[in-house]
Amino acid sequence: MIGDLGNSLERYMDTLSMRQKLVSSNIANADTPGYKTQDVDFQKAFQSALDGGTTQPVPVSGLATKNDGNNVDLDREARLLAENALRFSVATTLMKSQFSQIKEAIKEGGS
Amino acid sequence: MSLFSSLSVSASGMAAQRERAALLVENIANAETTRTPEGGPYKRKDAIFSSASVASEFSSELDAQMQTGVKVTGISVDQRPPEKQYMPGHPDADADGYVATPRMNPAEDMVDLTSANRSYQANVAAISAVKDMIQKSIDLLR
Repeated sequence: MIGDLGNSLERYMDTLSMRQKLVSSNIANADTPGYKTQDVDFQKAFQSALDGGTTQPVPVSGLATKNDGNNVDLDREARLLAENALRFSVATTLMKSQFSQIKEAIKEGGS
Repeated sequence: MSLFSSLSVSASGMAAQRERAALLVENIANAETTRTPEGGPYKRKDAIFSSASVASEFSSELDAQMQTGVKVTGISVDQRPPEKQYMPGHPDADADGYVATPRMNPAEDMVDLTSANRSYQANVAAISAVKDMIQKSIDLLR
């Protein structure tokens, strides 16, 4: 009933929370020797979530590795943390407007 | 795949950094200690971190794989021989008048302590970002 857009938004929020979990893991392991930064290709992950599939996280290439074999870049994680939160905020605002449209339709029908 | 599980990942990071900070503070406090229950001067300690899943046993396989937290899996003790200082009047001096003192570099501990502090703050920032996202989802119901 909420329609295609609502469904896509739900998948979008799912993908964002999955990515936020990976970012949290990377930050928690910023001092773990040998840990490699994990992430997903967001476009692909979202597309496969729309098709009902799942995506495995992969190590990120192109980051500077420290002496202990760890390659977590805190600046990168901080950026992703903020970006994910903002995207999520956009998604929830859109979802809310979907709900209010339906509510409006119900109300107008009753009068 | 709920946002709530991200909170436990960040919490594991905070706990690990706190444990590390406790060891570093212990090192600084014992920089001059020449007697320990194990005998000999105090030896520098540091936490060994390793990544570990913090998922509950009821979560799905994919979830468990993605929920990589951090755990302190051991404490490394500095095995280098202690420093000898010439202090003939000291109660712990050997026959030649040398006292075995901890091999300690206060700068090293202070730098590590600052790094533990910053990493702790990064985990707190992650928690508050996730908390905001959860709040946004709750607001959908209003």
